[in-house]
Amino acid sequence: MNLRSWSRLGAVALLALVVQVAVLDQLVVHGAHPEVLVLLAAAAGAVAGSQRGAMIGFVIGLVADLVLPTPYGLSALTYVLVAFAAGGVRALPGDRDGRSLQVATCIAGAAGGTLCFAVLGDLLGQPGMLDRQGAVVVLVVTVGALVLAFPSVAALRWVVQGADRSVTGHAIPSGGSATR
Amino acid sequence: MLVLASITVLTLDYHGEVSHGITHIRNGVRDALSPVQRGISAALHPVGDVFAGAFHYGAVQSENRRLEQQLGKLQAAQAEGAFASRQAGAVLALAHLPFVANITSTPAEVISAPTSNFQYLLEIDRGTGAGVGPRMPVVSGRGLIGTVAVSSASTSTVRLVTDKSSSIGVTFGTAARAGNAIADGQGFAEPLSIQEISGPLPVLGETVFTSGTDGGAYPAGIPIARVTSVKTSAGGLTTTVNARPLVNLDTIQYVSVLEWLPQP
Repeated sequence: MNLRSWSRLGAVALLALVVQVAVLDQLVVHGAHPEVLVLLAAAAGAVAGSQRGAMIGFVIGLVADLVLPTPYGLSALTYVLVAFAAGGVRALPGDRDGRSLQVATCIAGAAGGTLCFAVLGDLLGQPGMLDRQGAVVVLVVTVGALVLAFPSVAALRWVVQGADRSVTGHAIPSGGSATR
Repeated sequence: MLVLASITVLTLDYHGEVSHGITHIRNGVRDALSPVQRGISAALHPVGDVFAGAFHYGAVQSENRRLEQQLGKLQAAQAEGAFASRQAGAVLALAHLPFVANITSTPAEVISAPTSNFQYLLEIDRGTGAGVGPRMPVVSGRGLIGTVAVSSASTSTVRLVTDKSSSIGVTFGTAARAGNAIADGQGFAEPLSIQEISGPLPVLGETVFTSGTDGGAYPAGIPIARVTSVKTSAGGLTTTVNARPLVNLDTIQYVSVLEWLPQP
């Protein structure tokens, strides 16, 4: 990660935060709304791999925590785990850079991340994290992820390309290792 | 390492001074985002209503029927209304009901639905700059909505009565048959659970009010909910009482913050 990709990540995270707070929070279905930030964390893992993804997930989590009423750092911890796990699919055989695989990983990561957030929140003594409504939340976040996964993967590819471009002088497949 | 960093951040949030600093930063972010929230919220409110309507079509239809019936009754009662309101005004003035008479309030608009999927909070467009602060009760014309949890300069977060961490001392009944209890929030779309009842059981359809006795957390006499079920177990050992909030918390747009703080 270099300055260019960090600044791109900052821009993406800020834009996602505004979209989340101003738009997605208003689209409430059965008491739950879609989440774009957890999706970005999953996309980070799917696009950049476990280690870089976890780093990006940590930053996105810190940004998400700015507007949530839960303890500061809970989203950061969740997103690190989500991104790291999502990065695991890159170890699978086959076309690991295929966009469809990344999008699918992203959607699964968003669902898993929401569940993980609830479990960790419950462990930290937050009320109302694990109940029937939790299932509705996971469902709404997953359905929202079906729509938001493509732009999220595209945004994270753009962030990661910022790092790769500066090493090679030209774009390489996102998440790949760059050598001269 | 990042997991450790996250846990460190979490630990810091539980540390007094650092937590204060984090709250300060969070408030700054809320203030910075609030103009965008207000603008987009105003534009998107109809879209949100369409969403809510689409997913609750049956409920909207029955609500519509209920409102039509209510309108008919109201029209019939209109003639008596003026006289009744004069009487009510006189009674309220005599009784000095805190909900209506004694407490000044600050009107506010809801600018955001809950930011968390797991806690039931609303964001309103008034903060410390308008005299709104934590622990102040928030009401609408029909009753209690919740309490201010956090305030920045220009916005406040309201914890709804349905939130699982909400617990309110309530009273119900008449002077001859009064009871006290605790109303606990049970989460989204769930009724309040009426616990620790002392005195007679509430009856179906009865309204519960804040008692003002739970350490003075709320002024007495604010209507909260209507009793919707009273079930006693087969052996008669336990009774489960539920009550629906009087205010529709999903669609509320305007509220009043009572400038009232819990008594020490």
